Order: sequence, then C-alpha cells, then structure tokens
Amino acid sequence: MTSPNALNPVPTFSFRLRSTSPSRFSPRTGHVTLTRSRPTDGHDSATIELPTPSLVCATSRGVIQHLSQDNVQRTPCAKWIHVPFESFLQIDPPSISRQEGPNPLHSFLGFSPSRHLLSLSLRDPADGREVPANGKEFVSTLTSRGTRKIAAPVFRSYVTTVLPDITFAMSDIPFTPPPHSQKRTTKSVDRSAQWLANILAPLNLPSLPQTPPTRLNVFVHMVGGIRDAARSAFSYMLREPLEPKERTLVQLKNLDEGVSGYVFDLQPLRITLLAEEQKVSLQSLGSPAVPHRPSDDKVCDTFVSLMHASLEEMPVEKPRLVNTTLSPHEMLILIRDVGIDLFDSFWVQQAATWGIALDFRFPVPAGTEEEAKKHLGHNLYDDCYAIDISRLADSFLDGLTHSNRGESADQKNTPPVCPCGACSPTWSNEPLIHSSLDEYTVPRGTVEPASPYTRAYIHHLLHTHEMSAHAFLAMHNFAVLDAFFAGIREVIERDPDSFENEVKRFFAVYDSTFELLDEAKRSYHEVDKARGKGRLAREKELQTAKVAEELDVPVPTVEVVEEAIQG
Amino acid sequence: MVMAHGPTLLPTFMPVATQAAIKGLTSQQMEDLGVTLILNNTYHLNLRPGIKILREAGGAHKFQGWRKNLLTDSGGFQLVSLSKFTKITEEGALFASPFTGEPTLLTPEESISIQHAIGADIIMQLDDVVSSLTTGPRVEEAMWRSVRWLDRCIAQHKREGRPEQNLFAIIQGGLDSGLREICLEEMVKRKDSVSGFAIGGLSGGEAKDTFWKMIALCAEKLPDDKPRYSMGIGFAEDLLVCVALGVDMADCVFPTRTARFGVALTRQGPLNLRLNKYSQDLDPIDKDCACPTCRSETSRAFIYHNIGTETATAHAVTQHNIVFQAKLMGDVRDAIMKDEYPAFLKSFFKGYYANGKYPHWIVDSLNSVGVDLLEGLQNTQVVDEDGQNWDYA
Ligand SMILES: [Zn+2]
Ligand SMILES: [Zn+2]
Repeated sequence: MTSPNALNPVPTFSFRLRSTSPSRFSPRTGHVTLTRSRPTDGHDSATIELPTPSLVCATSRGVIQHLSQDNVQRTPCAKWIHVPFESFLQIDPPSISRQEGPNPLHSFLGFSPSRHLLSLSLRDPADGREVPANGKEFVSTLTSRGTRKIAAPVFRSYVTTVLPDITFAMSDIPFTPPPHSQKRTTKSVDRSAQWLANILAPLNLPSLPQTPPTRLNVFVHMVGGIRDAARSAFSYMLREPLEPKERTLVQLKNLDEGVSGYVFDLQPLRITLLAEEQKVSLQSLGSPAVPHRPSDDKVCDTFVSLMHASLEEMPVEKPRLVNTTLSPHEMLILIRDVGIDLFDSFWVQQAATWGIALDFRFPVPAGTEEEAKKHLGHNLYDDCYAIDISRLADSFLDGLTHSNRGESADQKNTPPVCPCGACSPTWSNEPLIHSSLDEYTVPRGTVEPASPYTRAYIHHLLHTHEMSAHAFLAMHNFAVLDAFFAGIREVIERDPDSFENEVKRFFAVYDSTFELLDEAKRSYHEVDKARGKGRLAREKELQTAKVAEELDVPVPTVEVVEEAIQG
Repeated sequence: MVMAHGPTLLPTFMPVATQAAIKGLTSQQMEDLGVTLILNNTYHLNLRPGIKILREAGGAHKFQGWRKNLLTDSGGFQLVSLSKFTKITEEGALFASPFTGEPTLLTPEESISIQHAIGADIIMQLDDVVSSLTTGPRVEEAMWRSVRWLDRCIAQHKREGRPEQNLFAIIQGGLDSGLREICLEEMVKRKDSVSGFAIGGLSGGEAKDTFWKMIALCAEKLPDDKPRYSMGIGFAEDLLVCVALGVDMADCVFPTRTARFGVALTRQGPLNLRLNKYSQDLDPIDKDCACPTCRSETSRAFIYHNIGTETATAHAVTQHNIVFQAKLMGDVRDAIMKDEYPAFLKSFFKGYYANGKYPHWIVDSLNSVGVDLLEGLQNTQVVDEDGQNWDYA
C-alpha cells in the first residue's frame, strides 16, 4: 500500500539533542535523521542517520573533490554532502534542472538517495572572491562564464526542480569590498528575511494535500555581518509574528517556525574582520581574498560573540551548522563556546589538495605531550618522506596490521584503525568480468585486506603529478576528521565537564596555526614549476603556475597541457 | 597466460601506469575494473622513485599496492623519445641524466638488472629503437644491435636467476620486410631463452598499410606457443585487426590519456565530451557499460560540466575507457572461443563506421586472413583514411 507520504518529494528531516546541555551554548551531542518516504534505490523508503557533532562534505562543481563515485562509496563518513548550486548556472537552463526522477539532484551528481543527504545553497560558502553587489531582488553569483544575478523566485524554482534534501535559503551576504556600512547591513538583514519567506512558502503541488502544507527543509544563514545588533535584529525578524498578508502566503506564525537549522559561513566574516583590522581594502589582499590559515584567538572570540548574538533568543533544539572553519582548533572552540553541531570539511579537503596527510586525534592519546607542538599532519611533498614506507598517520593503525594482530592484541594501548582507502584498502570481491572465461580466473566472494599505501608512495605520486595522490589524501583526511568528531561525541557523552580540559590538551599538543599548510603550498608550487615539460608547454605551464601562485589557488590539474612525457 | 601474480587471459589490452599509477586510480579500483595486467615504464620509475626506494618497498608491486601482473619496458624507448642527447653505442645508450646532466650509460645488462629490481612479471629486452619513419642503413644497424643486445639481456637474466620474471624479445627491422624477416629468424632461434615476443618499432606514424603488413609478417613467423605483444597499439580498430593477424597483447597510453581530455570511447566511436552538444545530454556515456561511471548513470552533461576542472570527472572517464578496452578484448576472447571472430568483427565495424565509410587498410588486412567485412552490406564505401573516428563537432 502506498502511504500518503509516498508522493511527498520532500524527505522528513529531524534533529534530536542527545545530551542535556547545562546552557544554551554548551557543547552538545545530537542526532540527525532524514527519512525518505518515496521509493529510492530499490527500497520503499530510506533513513539516513548522523550523530552530531559531525562533518558535512564540501563539494566543488557538484563533486567531492578528487573522489570518483566508487571512492565516495569507499568513504562511508560522506553522509551529508553540501552542494553549492552556482557552478551549474554557467549554462541556461542549467543541465541539472532537466534531470528527471524522484531525486534529481542525487541522480545528476551520482549520489545515493539511501546513503547520502544532500543540502544545497545558491553560493559556494568557501568562495570568498569579490562579486558585484547584490540587489534588492537578486544575489550575484559566480560561474565559470561570468556572474549571474539570481532572484529568489528563480532560486526557488531551481530548488523545487532539483529537490535537495535541505535547502539553505538565499541570503544577502555581500562579497563587495568591506567594510560594509550599517545601512548595507540593515539591507542585508531585510532582504535575507524576505527571501527566506519566499523559500518557506508551501509547495503547492496538486498531488499533495494542502493541509498540513508541504514545504522544503530549510536552513537559514544567520546574517548581520560583524555587527551584534544586526545579528540580533535578524534573529528578532525570524521570531516576530508575520504580517497577515505574509502569513497567508507562507502559512506560518513566524519565519522561524519553518526553519530547520541555522547556518554560519565564516569565510565572509573572516574577510570582513581582516579588512577591518588591517584597514586594508579587499583588493590589496589579492583576489581571491580567501584566508586559508586559521584565525587567531581574538578573531575566534569575535566569531563566538557574533554567533551568540544570533542565537541568544533562538530555540536551542535546532541544529547549528558552520561552514569554512580552517582547523580542528577552530572547530573545538565553536563546539565548546557555541555548541555547534555540524561543520563542513572544506579545510581537510583543501589539505588533501595541497598534499597533506592529516595525523591528529581527539582526545589526544595519552603520552603524546611533547615539548614541541605537533603538526596536524604530514606535508608529503617533503623529501623526508621519499623513502618512508610507513602508513599515512602515526595516530592510527592500518587495516592490515590490525587484522594481523588479531584479538589477542592489547586493545587499550592500540590506536584505532583508520578505515580509509589509503590505510585500509580492501580488494573487492566482485571485480568486473569481461568474458565468460574470466569467471574461472578471478577469485570472487571474499573481501581481503590490502596493504596500506605508504608515505613514500604518496610522496612519489605528488612529485610525479599523479592525481591519485589527492584521492588517497582526501579519503584519508575525511576519515581522520570523522574520527575526530567521534572522539568529541564520546567525550561529551561520557563526561561533558571533561570536554574543556580535553580541548586544552589538544591545544597544548597540536599546532593551532597550521603552519604546515603554507609549507605544503610552497612545495606544491615548486613541484609544479619543476615538472618536466615540452619546451612550449613548459613556458605556458610556468605562466599558469605563476598566476596560480599569485592567486593562491591550485593549478588547474586536469586541463594540463599535453604531456610530452609519455611514450 | 599464468605468471607469478596470477592468470591473464589473452588476447588482452594493458593499461599504462607510467609512474606506478594509472592516472588518478588506485590499485583497488584497477582490480575492480577487471584488469589483471598493467604496464610500468622503467625509464620513469628509475628516475622516480628510483631503484633504491623500490628495493626498500619490496618491488614495484608492493610500492603501488598492485597484486596482479605487471610488465615493464626496457627504458630504451623513452630514452630515445624523451632525451635529446641520447647517443647509442654498442655498449649501450648514453644519455644526459635529467637530474645532474651527467653522461649516464644504460646497457642491456643494466636495463635487465633494473627490471629485476622493479620485479615485473614480464620484462623487456633493451632494444635499439629507431623511429618507424627512419630509413637507410641505421635501420639495419639497429636491428642487428637489437639481436646482439637480446643475447646480452638473456645472459644477464640467467645470471641473476629470476625465473619468475619473464623476458620478452623485441622484433625490430623498421618498415623493411627483409630486415624484419632476418630479425625474426635470429630471434626465433633464441625462443627457448625468452618467454614471449614483442613487435617493436611500429605505431610511430607510418602508413596504416605498412603497419598491418609488418604486423602480419611478424605474427606469421612467430612461434605459436609464445605470446605476441604489439607495442603502442590502443585504438579499437587497430586492436581488432592486430588480434585477427595473431597478436595477443597490446598497450597504449591513448585510452587513459584521452580520457583526461574528455574523450570517452564507445563502440560507436569516441565521444568528445567537451563539445557543447553534450552540455544538455543526460544519457550516460554508454548505458550498456558496466563501469562505475556508467553504472552510476553519470550523465554526459555532468561530465561536460566538469571535465577540465575536476580531477574526479577525469577519473570517471578514465575508468570508463579502461573498461571499454577490457570489455572489447573480453568480447574478442568470447568470440574466438566460440569460433565467431569474423562475425564479431563485422558487427563491430558496422557499428563503429555507422556512416558506411570503411578504411581500406582495415578491409584489406582482414581480407588477408579471410574475413570479408563488406560481405552482404549495402551502401558502404571503402575510403583512404586511417579510421579514427574523431568526434569533432
Ligand atoms: Zn587513512
Ligand atoms: Zn562506462
């Protein structure tokens, strides 16, 4: 029998707090549940669950960078995946908007409706580049073919066509050179509230009952820039009763009633604070002016107080999501001081692009305290890894070593296993068969552990520009971040009072400035320059590398000039 | 063909992992795709990571985490094509080290020792490579030198006692059938000391007519009980003709390299997914393909959206192309087992040259082994073209 919900294109999103926090901003654990009542992947329904605090995978142009679909499947911690829509606006109509089926966004991007929760925002939260001013009715977006202005109803029409599980309402966050006047900030607050109302309006689908109204699962950016007062004003607007006319349209008492969660994007705040502090214009920071190193304590304190201003009066039981943190330290501060539940994994994915294998744990393993601060990982470009045949991280075991140790091993002092495709690869039990004879030669049926990939191998891949280096590092860095969050949840649930102390220990052991990142970037650009090339190609490549270095972005890797080097 | 790292069914196509990695893919992914034999380039591995590290890691298999079969070339071809200063002497190939600029000598003995350290299941003799467009006495000199170097390689291989590694000889002789025949005669004399024969010095820009005739000549004279490996062959039409002429193995960077530029191989010809016409095409590359990309129904439009910007999309097309080649050869094996290869060729080319324009070298070469591609077909035309079905616009 078909349930009445079976026609509902919008899955049910719920968030439940597990730990009882002593105060509104204490660290907390929770549980995200997404239930799809429409048949998917051959199942009648699907439920995706995610304990929090947890990670949200960032995507670039609709893909988790460096991971082909089969490697996404090898990365089970990729459950909640966030998709910025703007790259698809490069052609009109966006090809993605023509995708059919019950989960068009999943289908187009190749994600699984039974395993992946997809959220969607108009803009890429990690893109801090300057963009022409937004208008009264529209947001300026960046595509690879220039800027495009998108109005709220247009955004709504895209969203209702591609059907993400969660929609981040379109917001007026300026990416024009800071500082932004009070008047500008007021506009931002007003427009964002208006656009939120637009996306919250019920989906008037003829096939669905009109009551209760069906609407999208909507998260809202808590806007107001770096002004506490503007932030309070925005949260007030979310709570104040709607005017009768709007109320009829939206069918809500107030906007917040329709909101499922709150979002904070740190990148625009960082840029604004940086400009404010240094009294420099955005242009002089270079474009894209995207800070890549974690912010100092003072800036983090400001983040905390701005978030407090936004959340002070809001219900505690809704999830809080932060985009574009740049270190585990920033994540810990925001969990400790604000009670954030979800973080995008942008920075660990960036680290994979720059050749870093992360190597840290929370809580810090006993006996790790050392005189010098530990790096957060390894810059595998460094020649010290050329002959290092150990697994990627010291703080984790590899799958093969673990399975060879068996049950008898000393469980207590054994580090956890890194389950990633680099540290714990497994041979598939179902390789493809290409002829009827193959079946007799291909062993099937058992999943066997494979040897872990070594630092020396990844070092080699980085120096020879083999892109699998980044695939390995992305899988590994996700797993390290996932274990970090598991550790955080465990500490909070076991003894919330000990969390603060564990954070202190983490700060005492690991370098909070992420110095390693700059070192890795330097190596990246050096290797790029030194790369053997045909004469003409080398010239061109150097030029690209130089520009890329100036812009502080990775050199476009696929669109490489024809390699003269292969035979 | 059974080697130290398991069986590989013939005929087969070998993807090229120049630097100990198939572009963007892990060894687990390669095995998943049903590949059992890949190729590493000795020249590159010797430069990076270097033999010392490979020894430390326990050989190239362990280094790259690959548990199936592996073939290494001798390093000679890359030396000649990549180094401007290579000078061939009787002793070996003298070249300027790309690192220090110092003169370095690669001898046949050295090449075998390096390949022993790498540990591949199939190793190749060092040969004196000349471009297939070279003419004159240099071709004959290179042919004779290749024969002498084969002897030195065999001696070194025996001296170092690596029975689990299989040495292949390489037939040279340029485009001169007389020289090819001499080379064949000399090398076949040594057949008990080698495990297989490669046909070298082709696929370097020579006319297709000459190409297939040289392959046919070599395949004809090579012993039936040893595998024959045609070097540098990767286009579907070339593979099918070579197999018809008696070739068992081939390798080429083409399928993986072209993938990164957005070209997906299909039985209807390659699709250039960078072209605007694919921007709204929601079909997968090939709905009947079993590769992870097609199985997850990744659309041509999505590939168009990201090819050239996202490495993951290049990996997706690479996976498809590897499976395309493997499945093509798998179907060839099935057809041969069922004694239906001629019918397979006819049906393949009918789809591949759907416009009815058949390159005459393909028609001629297959005629030479008794397959009439055009039999029973109407509206076909035999054209003087190479036959690569590029997707231009
Ligand atoms: Zn790992
Ligand atoms: Zn495919």
